[in-house]
This record gives sequence, C-alpha cells and structure tokens, in this order.
Amino acid sequence: MKRKYNILFLLIILIALFPGCEKFLDEELKGERSDVQFFQTATDAELALTGIYNCLTFADADNRIWVFGDVASDDAAKGGNPGDQADIDRIDNFNIAADNGNLETVWAIYYEGVSRANKLLDNMDGIEMDGERKSQIIGEAKFLRAYYYFWLTNIFGDIPVHLTTPTPEEMQKAKSLRVDVFNNAIIPDLQDAATRLPASQSLSQAGRPSSFSATAFLAKSYLLMEDWANAENAANQVIQQGGYMLVNIYNMNFQLATKDNLESIFTVQHLAGQDPWLGNRLNQWFAPRAENGYGFNVPTQSFVDEFEKTAEEVYDPRLDYTVGRSGQPWFNDTVMFDPSWSPTGYMQKKYLQPLDEVPRTLKADGELNFIFLRYADVLLIMAEAQNEQGKTGDAVGYLNMIRKRARECYLYDENLPGYGTIPEGLLPDVEDQGQSYVRNAIRHERRVELGFEFQRFFDVIRYGENYANNAFNDKENFDYNTNKFFPIPQKEIDTNFEL
Amino acid sequence: MRNLITWLSLAFFFLIHFTALSQTISGTIIDKNNSTIPGVSIYVEGTTIGTTSDIDGYYSLIIISGDVIGDSLTIVYSFVGFKPQQNRIANDPAANYTFDITLLEEIEMLEEFVVVGYGVQKKSDVTGAISSIKMNEINNLPITRIDQALQGKASGVQVSQTSGAPGEGIKVRIRGIGTINNNDPLYIVDGIPTKDIAGILSPEDIESMTVLKDAASAAIYGARAGNGVIIIKTKKGKQGKTSLSYNFYSGFQTHGALTPMTNTNEYIEIFNEAAAADGRDPIPDEIVPQLSDTDWMKEIFQTAIMQSHQLSLSGGDDKTTYLISGGYQQQDGIIHNSSYDRVNLRTSIATYLTDWLNLGVNITSSWSNRDIIGASGDGYGGNGGSVVRYAFFRTPPVPVYEPNGEFSDLPQFDGYSRAQLNTWFGDGYNPVGLAKKYDWSDKIFRTFGNLFADVQLMEGLNFRTDFGIDLSTGTEKRFNENWGTDGRINNPNSMYVNTELDFTYTWTNTLNYKKTFNEKHITSFLLGTEVIKNRNHGHIGNDRDFPDQSPNYRYLGNGLALNKSVSEFEDGWALLSVFSRVNYNYNNRFLVEAVIRTDGSSRFALGKRWGAFYSGSAGWNMHHEKFLKDVNWLSQMKLRASIGQTGNQEIRLYNYLSIIEDEYNYPIGGAMNIGYAVASFGNVNTTWETTTTYDLGLDLAFFDDRLSLITDYYWRYTTDMLIPVPLPPSGGSADPPFINAGEVLNRGLEVELFWQDTKKKLKYQIGGNIATLYNEVLSLSNGRPISAGRIDNGVYATLTEEGYSIGSFYLYEMEGIFQNELDIFTHAYQGPNIQPGDVKFKDQNGDNKINEKDKTHVGSPIPDLMYGLTMNFNRGAWDLSIFFQGVMGNEYYMQVNHDIEGFYRGFNVTKRYYDNRWTGEGTSDEYPRASWKATTNNKKPSTRFLEPASYFRLKNISLGYSFAFGENAGIKALRVYVSAQNLFTITNYPGLDPEMYDSDNLKTEKRSNPDLAAGIDWGTYPMPRIYTFGINIDL
Repeated sequence: MKRKYNILFLLIILIALFPGCEKFLDEELKGERSDVQFFQTATDAELALTGIYNCLTFADADNRIWVFGDVASDDAAKGGNPGDQADIDRIDNFNIAADNGNLETVWAIYYEGVSRANKLLDNMDGIEMDGERKSQIIGEAKFLRAYYYFWLTNIFGDIPVHLTTPTPEEMQKAKSLRVDVFNNAIIPDLQDAATRLPASQSLSQAGRPSSFSATAFLAKSYLLMEDWANAENAANQVIQQGGYMLVNIYNMNFQLATKDNLESIFTVQHLAGQDPWLGNRLNQWFAPRAENGYGFNVPTQSFVDEFEKTAEEVYDPRLDYTVGRSGQPWFNDTVMFDPSWSPTGYMQKKYLQPLDEVPRTLKADGELNFIFLRYADVLLIMAEAQNEQGKTGDAVGYLNMIRKRARECYLYDENLPGYGTIPEGLLPDVEDQGQSYVRNAIRHERRVELGFEFQRFFDVIRYGENYANNAFNDKENFDYNTNKFFPIPQKEIDTNFEL
Repeated sequence: MRNLITWLSLAFFFLIHFTALSQTISGTIIDKNNSTIPGVSIYVEGTTIGTTSDIDGYYSLIIISGDVIGDSLTIVYSFVGFKPQQNRIANDPAANYTFDITLLEEIEMLEEFVVVGYGVQKKSDVTGAISSIKMNEINNLPITRIDQALQGKASGVQVSQTSGAPGEGIKVRIRGIGTINNNDPLYIVDGIPTKDIAGILSPEDIESMTVLKDAASAAIYGARAGNGVIIIKTKKGKQGKTSLSYNFYSGFQTHGALTPMTNTNEYIEIFNEAAAADGRDPIPDEIVPQLSDTDWMKEIFQTAIMQSHQLSLSGGDDKTTYLISGGYQQQDGIIHNSSYDRVNLRTSIATYLTDWLNLGVNITSSWSNRDIIGASGDGYGGNGGSVVRYAFFRTPPVPVYEPNGEFSDLPQFDGYSRAQLNTWFGDGYNPVGLAKKYDWSDKIFRTFGNLFADVQLMEGLNFRTDFGIDLSTGTEKRFNENWGTDGRINNPNSMYVNTELDFTYTWTNTLNYKKTFNEKHITSFLLGTEVIKNRNHGHIGNDRDFPDQSPNYRYLGNGLALNKSVSEFEDGWALLSVFSRVNYNYNNRFLVEAVIRTDGSSRFALGKRWGAFYSGSAGWNMHHEKFLKDVNWLSQMKLRASIGQTGNQEIRLYNYLSIIEDEYNYPIGGAMNIGYAVASFGNVNTTWETTTTYDLGLDLAFFDDRLSLITDYYWRYTTDMLIPVPLPPSGGSADPPFINAGEVLNRGLEVELFWQDTKKKLKYQIGGNIATLYNEVLSLSNGRPISAGRIDNGVYATLTEEGYSIGSFYLYEMEGIFQNELDIFTHAYQGPNIQPGDVKFKDQNGDNKINEKDKTHVGSPIPDLMYGLTMNFNRGAWDLSIFFQGVMGNEYYMQVNHDIEGFYRGFNVTKRYYDNRWTGEGTSDEYPRASWKATTNNKKPSTRFLEPASYFRLKNISLGYSFAFGENAGIKALRVYVSAQNLFTITNYPGLDPEMYDSDNLKTEKRSNPDLAAGIDWGTYPMPRIYTFGINIDL
C-alpha cells in the first residue's frame, strides 16, 4: 500500500511540472536557413545573387519569351505537331484568354527573378564584405531586376512594380504605367548598375554584365521608350568606349565554339550535364522531330522573303545562318534539310546545335546562349535614334556597318559557296535617300539581322499601328490597341485585387 | 484436450470415490436463440473439477464432498466466442441443483461497451456520434490495409484510394472535407495516436474500430481531432486455456471492365479522316500488311496472385494474458511489376502484478516492401506517368516487341522515315515496356507499440500511464533505366535513394475517478496530460550515368556522373496537451458530458502556440422513462445532442519562417555556381484552425433489439481555416505561408439501420448505412478563390470559391456540336477557324463571345450520398455474407480523354469516340469531328470531359462452411470459405475505376492538398477483381 502512495506522489509531481514545459515545443530549423539567418556573409550574398541569375535560363521549358517575341509576330508560326501546345497556337492567332498557360508561366518566372533581386538588395546593407565586390553585387542585382522588368513590361504593358520585398498585404498592388516602369524601375536600376559594374568582365566571368552592358541596355530601353536623344547618347558611349566589335562571321554568335565573343553584350548562359538542369532546352523545342526535337517556333515565308538576294539569286548569307530551308544542308553538311519537318517548310537554327555536339538523346541539354544584347543591336539602335532625330546621314553609316559585316561573311566563312569573293550586288550600302527611306531600311535590317532573337513582335508594336496591321495582316484577330500588350494572367487577376 | 483429460481423470476419480457423498449440478446450456451449445466447459473455479456439455447441451457436474473447501463454490460456464457466466452456490453435499444457462455471444457483449477517447463507455451511456465496426464484419475481406476495412461500414466515412496498385495509399474522410489543408483523421492504436497506420497492423490483429465523428466525442483528442478520430483496439489474450488460430487465404486477381479502344483498321480509318480534313498525308495502304493489331489495354494486365497467412497464439490465467501473432501477406498487382509484401509480428502481454497494478506491453513490428509503377497521373508528380495512361495512348499498329525480342519503342516499319511513322503512329511510350522497366521500391520497417501501467489508487480512482513509440525507417530506391529507340528514354540513366528514419514518442498520463452516489448519480472524471515529440531524419542520394544497367550494379556510386548529389534533412514537431472530461449519469436516464483540452503545437510561432477546445453533450435514455416503460416493442430510445470544438494544426513545419533553399544554380564563365533563394514565405501570425460540430442524434431499437436505428444530423463549421492563401505571382513564386482565413461548412444526415433475426434455423443480419453530405466554402481569405487541379501547363480544372464546394470543377460548359455554318454564325463567337463538327460552348455571361469568363461551376468530386449494405446469413454450418457499397452524385474530370476522345496527337482513340464522332450534319451532338487543327477549340477544359462517377459495387461476397468436430478431434473449429471482391460494378463512369480519388500529380503541385484537386483521372490503375479461397482453423 505504501508503494501505491509513492506512485500517487510521483504523479502529482509530474502533473505539477507539466505546464512549465513550453520549451518542449521549441523546434529549431535544421539543415536549412531561414531568411533571418541567411544574408550574413559575402558567400551568402554570392549565393543569393546566383539565385537571381537562375531565373534567366532556358533550362526551364516554361521560360517562353520566344512565344511572345517570335511566334506572335510575323516571323514565326507555332510549328510542332498540330494540336500540341494549343495555347501557343492561340497566341499565334491572337485568340488569347487570360488563362492562357504561357502568360502565367512567363509572368511567374520573371517576377520571381524580380523578387529574388529585391530580397538581396533589401539585405545588402547588413552584409559585411569587401566594398568593391559588394557594390558590384548590387549592380548585378539591379541589372537583372531591370532585365526582368524589361521583358514583363514589353510583354504585358502596365504592370505592378515592387522595388523592395513586399509583405503579403503589399503584394496587393496596382499597375504602374509602362512609362513609369521604365522611368522608376528599369532606367534608374541600369544607371546605377552602370556606375557600379566593372568596365569589362573577363571570360571566366562570362554571363555577368559589365558597366557597358548596362549602358547598352539603357540604350535599348530608351529605344523602347522612343527617347531618341538618350538612346543615341547611351549607344554612342558603348560604341566609343565599350570595346565591342562585330565578329567577322555573323554565325559565330550562334555557335558553341565562338560564343561569348566580342560582339556579345549580355547573354543568358547554359551548361550541359548539370543536375538540376542548366542546359538550353530550346535545342529540343526548336529542333525537328526527326532529331528528337519538338519543332516549335518555325520561320514563316514572310520572314524568309525579307532577306535580300542578288540578281543571281544569291541570298543574304544571314538567311541560311538563321533558317533551314529546302535544298540547303542542315548543319555540318551531313543531312539535307527536309522541308517536311516543318509545317512552313522552314526551321530556325539560332539555338540549335548539330547532333555531334549534343546527341539526339540529350537533345534538351544544349549549351548555346540566348543573346539578349549584342553589338549589332547597339549599332542599329544608334542608327535608328539618329535617324529619328534627323541625323539621317550619320545613321546610314551605322546601318551600313551591319550590312558590310553581313556581306563580308563571304570573305571569312569558307563554308559559303564562292567563299573569298563577295557576290556581285549583295547587300549594297544603303544611301541617304531621306529619313523615311532610311527608317524603312533600318526596320528591314533589324528584322533580318535580329531575326529569332525574340525581338520582332516588340519592334513591330513599337513601329506603330499602321506598320503592325500591315505586318500582321494574315492574323485576322489582331487588333493593335487590344493586342499590343498581352493580357495579365488570370492567376494574377485572381489573387491581386488592386488590378 | 485438457478438458478431455480432466473428464477422464474425473471419471476415474469418480469411480474410486463411488461411495462418497456428492453434489450434482446439471442442466442445459443454450444460446440466445434457444439453440443448445455443445462443448461448453463447466468447472469449479480454483479447482480441476469440471465437465463439458454434450451434443444436446446437457451437462452434469458431480462434486465429491471434501474436494472443495469453503462455504461456497463458484461454477464457471465458458465457451469460446461467448461471455463466461458464473454461478455461486453453497458448498453443501446434500444440495443438487439444476441450472439451465443461457450464454451470450461475446460480440453482443462488445456491443454493450464501446471504446471512446481514453476509456470505454457503455453504449447506452454514449452521448456523442460514434460508429463502431467489429472485426467479424471484415473477416473475409482480402485487404492489406486496415483502413480499407472502414469502407461502407460506417455512415459518413468515405474511403477511397488513389489507385488500385497494391499497397497504394488510402484516403479516409469523416463527415466530408472540412478544410483546405489536411483532412486525414487521427488514428489511436491502443491509446497511441498516429496520422499514418500504413503497415502497422494486419486486419487480423484488430478487435474493433470506433469512429468518433462529432466533436463531442473527439474533443478529448482536441489537438488533431478536427477530421475525426478512429480508435483501433487490437486483439488481446483472454483468460483461459491457450488457443492457437491460423487464418489463411489465397486467391487470384484479374482486371475488371476495360475501356474499348479502336483496332488498327479503325485507327487508320479515323486517322485518314482527320488527315483529309486537315490536308495532311494519309497513312498509305501499302504499309497495312506490316502493321500489328495490339490491344494495349489487355497487354498491360496480368492475372495476379495474392495470399495471406496469419498465425496467433493466445491465452492467459487470472493474472496474465498474452497474445503472440505473426503474419505474411503478399499481393501481386494486376499490372506487371507492381506488388506489395508484408511480414508482421505482434506481442501483447498484460499482467496484474498485484491486485492494484496492471502492467502491459503491446509491440508490433512490420516489414513491408512495395514495388511501385506509375499508377496515376501523367508523370508530373515524378512517377514517370501512369502505365494505364500510356496503354490508352499507344496506337494499335505498333507491336509490343520488336523481332529481336526488345520492347518496341518508336514505330519502325520498312520503307518509311521515322518522322512519317511518328506522325502516323505516335511517339508515346510502350506501356508494357514502361511497366516492366520500372525499378522502384519502397521498403519500410516499422515498430509501433506501448508500455502501460494502470494503478488503482483507491476504489474508483485509477492512474494510467502509457508510453508509446512509433519508429519507422524506410528506404525508397528508384533506378530509371535507359532504354527505347536510340536510348531516348531516361537518358542518361539515373538513380535515387532516400533513407529516412522517423521517430515519435507519446507519453500519456490519465487519472480516472468513478463514483456512484445513492445508486442514482453516476459520475466519472478524467484528467490527463500528453506529450508527443517527433523527429525525422534522412539522406537522399542521386547518381547518374551507370555504364552497366544490370540489377546488381544499381547502387549509388556506380554512376559515372561527376555531379552526384547527396543531401540530408532533419526536422521535428512537438505537441503538449492537458485535458479533462466530466461525465454525469442520472439513473441511466440523463447523461451529460463535458470536455476541455488545451494544446500547444511547435508548428506555430511563440505566442500563437496554444489552443483550447471545449465540448459538451447530453443524452436522454427515454426508454427508461415511465411513459415508455410499458411499450414492449421499443427496447431503446435515446436522444443525443452535442456541441464541440476540435483543432487542426496540420501545416508544414516551420510555417512561421521564410525558408531559403539551394538548387537555384546558374553557370558563369562555363562553371556552375550554386544559387540560393527563398523557397517558402513564412507567417508568424498563424495559429490553430478550429472545427465546431453540432450534432443531433436519435438511437432507436425495437423488438428486443432485433431492429436498431442510429441517426445523426450534423453541422460542422471549420473556422480560421489554415490556407496557403495564393499570393499574386507578381510577389514571387515561393510557396505561400499558411494563414488562418476561411470557413467551411459540412452538413449531413447519417442513418445506420440494423436488423437481425432467426427464422427456424436461418440466422440473418442485415445492416445498412447511408450518409448525405453537403460541402460549402462559406468564406475564403478576402474572397480570393483558389484554383487547383493542373490539367495542362497553366490550365486548372477546379476552383475553390465561396459558395461552392471545396475542389469544385470550374469549366466551360459544352452545349453540343456545331452542325453547320449557320449554327456557328448564330452562336457566340468562339474564335477563328471554327467549323461544323466542333464543340459548342455555352455563353454563360451572354456577351456573345466565349472566353474564360464563361467558365462556371459544373460539378464536384465530393459525393452527395454514400452508402453501404451488409448482409450475413447463417444456417447450420453454412454462412454467407454479401457487402455492397456505393456513392452517388459526384463527377470526375477525365483528363486522359483530352487525348483519346478526339484526334489530337498521335494517340489511339476510344471505340466510343470512333463510333459516335461527328461526320456530317446531324451525326453527333456529343463527339466532335476528327481533326488535329480543331484541337484548340475542342480540347478546351469543358464538361465534355466531366463524367458522372456514381457507382454501386458488390465489394464482397463470401460463402463459408464450418466443419463440426467431435470433442477429442483436437481441433476446435475449422471453417473454409470462398469469396470474391469487386465482382460487379454498376456505373456510367467510362474510366477504368470510379473508386479513384486523386493522382500522383498532386505530389508536386503547389498547395498540393488532394481535396483541392480530387477526381482528376489521368488513366488510373484500377482496383482488381479478387477471388479467394480461405481457411480459418482454431486449435
């Protein structure tokens, strides 16, 4: 019996001790860090910075800016198997509902990039590290934030802007006008980045922007805003001091061995054989089914017809660098292009690697960059900015630098038939026949020079309603005012009541 | 045997003492239905004096004077399956007695008492809403998981499976879907709580299961009882001699009805029709002789075996009882290469160390292995895609094997290019190859059990302490073999191994006091504390590029990849609770109960951790009232009412923190750089979700309990619902935190009806249950709806929105097929290129154009009605039981029909589509024309793909025969039976199985609560039809 009361005594102690055990409920986070514990050291800053870059890649098949830049334009059709990826078809035909899947995925990826940049920039103050690198990290983060906003506002027009990490309440955010997205986010970020970033990046840092990358990007932004004077000024700085040049052969920009060359200003990098994936999936998305590709984003006849040819039917060499067509070899001369691969009879080549570089079975693990900005673009921006300000004579000079490089591929590319001599009458210099004439010449040159670099749609919209209606005349649903920007995705509308 | 020996020695003894004085006790032993019971042991307690009843139930016990010391002696009547009875008589050699004894079956005794939270209650005292299930009801079901046994047996309990693959997970929903987060009930196994009972027990280990449905009965488990509680009581040893039982069944399984698909000729016909419509090249006639005609649906299935062996040994004396059991279960899948095996061992011992101290231990260990194949979904969830889906897709002209014996992959026929053949016959995977190449297993070793001590401190006051452990260690291993044309599938090969150790301990202390005052006021009081702590620790390793793919080489480290990866994780949670319950019973007429429980959870931030939950209930046993005393046909009438609260904290751990994760990498200068980013946002303000249930119940029994009826009506409100409120993607894509926002209502009527009677020699029982369910979201955070159920990139099928049920389907409504140009012209504008034969959608908002604003709520995967019907018949040695089960009023979205009920990719089409497609004006108003170009319009997520999912299924029918044995046969009982499961199903559902619930896809979908996106069928592994033969032997 005595034992029994000992047990009772023990029990009373147990129950009495009980409420003091709040500590029992403390569970520490292990194996991971919370945002409070992170952002302490230089290493943390670098890790978070890489996280911002991560949203750039085309290792994510949902990164579909090509659907907007190319397929929606007059340059490309959807391609692929009929019926496959019907939502891309709907964009091609301007039958676009807010629940179109391509809207949401691009929106989410690019805003995630913004969000990661905001998070790092918010926390940079508290990080103890070398001052020079710290400033560069801020510069890179701002450059990347500008990059994401640039695509978002070009695709969607007026959009919500966050420049610091929002609380869930602050995520309820109204749209800013597109002009304000440029003036309050993109331009200031790029101006600041230009002061922080180094004048050049070594090859071991390929993929990071330099100060001139930021300035060139500024020029491009001013171009989109039609702020010609500032565009000219920024482009001029890059031309005078940037140290960039046009590579001898146009195609060197789109080949593995010669990527990250002196023409590159800012590129999205890819690397094969990584886990998680960092290869370029466009190598599969755009390749013919016969090579284990999906065959999307194929050139239209209209695009092919834009290329000049001589009286002897010798085409602008950029055509065959850009497009696979009947009667022409398909990479490395081993196979001829088969027009049955594509519903239009053409396929584009700028993101594709030959099978001896990337085997059929690893098709999605390509290594080519996406070139966001190259020197040729800056020269064309310069030409356009000057021409629009009435400096047509100067503009023609820059324009002709592009044409000269294109025709002179015949002097450098031994694979071209008749290599060594520029064919008679190929791509002659444009003469100053007035502002309007030169404007058309520049527009033509942008289309062929920058074809399939995801720019055409935005150029067409920029050129205005008349040009757009003319260019898109076979898209019966296209209405300039409705369709110059794409609808904000349903998922955003459903969750952001300030819209 | 021992009885026989006793008998003989007693007879011998009797002969020797022939002349001595003796006392004779005799009589007949019968059961409740007046049948005599042979073989009953009759003995004098504390002695070896005894006898057994003869074939007519007659017994005669002779006690020699002087053999028993004392003034009185106790005679015990005992028989397996019946409650023992005792008779106390005077030890007087002169007195002879005749006692006719009626023994009551043990099962009926069990019905008198039901297991409730932290204790047992007389059924007549219960004031909450409870359903209980006896093991004998599930005896003949060839099931591998115990939660399957609940299906159709308890009203308001919905049991469904993600797929029919062996060992696949089960979803149990009690009284609907109360929340947008976790809806799984809490299980209490011998006092120890767990959220996952997979593999713990074999169905043979269970004595009873009790479902606590309303908050009043569940509130004592407050913390995690928001979705209801299922209390499982395992079998224990019984006082008496050792008994050994062996249960065995073995059987085979086949597939049920398959969806008819087109054959090669039909396929070519429809392909060429679509090609003509779209201006493409047809399949040339010359190729036809080279083509196969494969029925892929048949090819993936096999006849599979299953077997189960269970051996148990139990017994005990007046102090100690024990039970030891072991079992082996094995089930092959009806689709190649899927299976489930389990070995389980259990020990249960309890002993009275002194008359006031009872100690015991229950330990279960099990080892299981599941061979997994893709059974649902399209691979988005990481399983590689459902084999059934690919069987739907693969076109019939392609053979299963190439002439060289390898699995065929991309179609290859002489004289045609691969591009042509891919266009004609598709490039989907070979489902037979896919199934057989799977090398994916999940092995789990789990030990679950408790130690307890029950101390009687004084009369009526008991202290009990329970220490339980749940230790589970598992290894999931998967090798993705590289195969197919040019090695295109899984290139490079890769491997994944996840080893995980999960440990939870639970320590519960309760103090229980019972006291009756003046014989009329019966009170009891419970006070308890509980601590639970969990820790989970594991490693994941990845490797790639194995130069040798042979099975013995499939181990981490053998791959050639330089960037193998390894990661480690550890996390944990804790709960701390104090609870109390008071019961008051006035003369068995009025019953009142009140419960309070306070819980602290580690999942919430400091200051938000504690939640208190209250409940109260009352009952009135009206049949004890004077005004009903004389109503002979009414044996019970009880009115119950309850109101109570329960909590829910099942959100991700560390929800209050924003968490940084790795793997956001990027190459700089040709070298990979590791990147980090915020993967989930935290919220420090999150706290408990509360479910408040109001329940009104009426229990009736008539004609000496032959007919009984239990009815309940309930309203269940979930408030402060824990929702990962979707944040605008413009704020970033990290997972949103759970916050408290939203209210859900579930309400319904539950009826359980039971009739039992004996007509001549036929004994029969008929039990049915039916439950209605109405589910509505009353509010969501700021009215923001949540879309879920991804059916294509960025396309979702469900919308959870105020005023509709959770996971309600939100789609375009199909109005028919455009028959002609005028039809198109006069209808709302659907986009360019619409032609006669295309699907016509309803213009819901009347703006004369079809866009996303015309989507509307069109149905729900939640059934309006669920029911079960069980019938047992017993006549002589024969027994027959039949069990039907079904649901009504729900719909499923057949995502797989996107691709096989139209001509959209290089996939096969259903025979139904082939037979009924539109081919000209007036030919069809249901199935559009065959055309790839029309996909954009015809494949829109619409009611075209929404199918009724009601079904009525014969879950089980079994027929048994029990052999009779003489007393000295050495065998107590032998029963053999045959049974069939899922023998037939009545349904309009065109998929393989209307019992599917959700899919593997949800595993990676953000906010992956299955209930937000239930009922999406991507082609699902169906339930097998099972035929078994079984034996039950008792020694």
